[in-house]
Amino acid sequence: MKYQATILIELKPGILDPQGRAVEGVLQGLGYRAQNVRVGRVLEMELESPSEAEAHRQATEMAKTLANPVMEVYTVEALKERA
Amino acid sequence: MKVAVIQFPGSNCDQDAAWALKWVGLEAELIWHTATHLEGFAAVVLPGGFSYGDYLRAGALAKFSPVMAEVRRLAERGNPVIGICNGFQVLTEAGLLPGALLANTNLHFTCKEVGLRVERNDTPFTQAYRPGELLRLPIAHGEGRYYADPEVLEGLEERRQVVFRYAALTPAASADYNPNGSLNDIAGIVNARGNVLGLMPHPERAVEAALGTTDGLGVFESLKAALEVVA
Repeated sequence: MKYQATILIELKPGILDPQGRAVEGVLQGLGYRAQNVRVGRVLEMELESPSEAEAHRQATEMAKTLANPVMEVYTVEALKERA
Repeated sequence: MKVAVIQFPGSNCDQDAAWALKWVGLEAELIWHTATHLEGFAAVVLPGGFSYGDYLRAGALAKFSPVMAEVRRLAERGNPVIGICNGFQVLTEAGLLPGALLANTNLHFTCKEVGLRVERNDTPFTQAYRPGELLRLPIAHGEGRYYADPEVLEGLEERRQVVFRYAALTPAASADYNPNGSLNDIAGIVNARGNVLGLMPHPERAVEAALGTTDGLGVFESLKAALEVVA
């Protein structure tokens, strides 16, 4: 089976995110009431796997490999079967 | 006394590092990152640059290069390992040094000379300096803000692992000497054993008078002296 996985890697809460701050400043300048804007990274990938559970396990393992535990957290945001 | 200078795709201070090593009389050899052994090398330099284009995070992909298993082996054996700038980022990503280097607080890629204070001279990289000596070295980085959680930071200070700190060279500069927002003004640290050094400033760009400052020479002279003692 083919799956589509989406992994989100973001800075741990509490760690200063100057990119998020810059974006927040611009959004507020445009009149939006956005607060605590954080910038993360999204990884999209196709996965070949016998089951959804196995695909999720693989995606989680890759997220763990790619994220830096010193300052980042990761989540497998979505997993869906591909046609 | 041979020192390996590792070339990752995107390294760009490799030739400068090799030059600085040769300048003090050490042998230096450029080693491509796919090498699987570092037999015969007494020390390793991970040079500055943009390994893998800084994709994902600075240093994040280089840590998976085949040569890193050998760098780890040498580090664990006690051989001196120096990571400069991107090399420091690779060492933290690989877990050979604690903490991480995050985007500069001001979001600028900052390329200028900064003041540094030598916190200790009982390492293989700083014995040519006096403790408390002030140095002027260039920095050139976008992700140099040293970060570690409070417990790790406390441990670093307790074990005196901070080797270089950003410092004001003149009283007038006392407000803004820290160029990137590093916690505790940290510019360079060693591992607990003291044989692995990571620093953001570029000592290899400061070894000849023609470059404006020779304050980086001490790092390479210290390394040479340390290697001679071992040999």
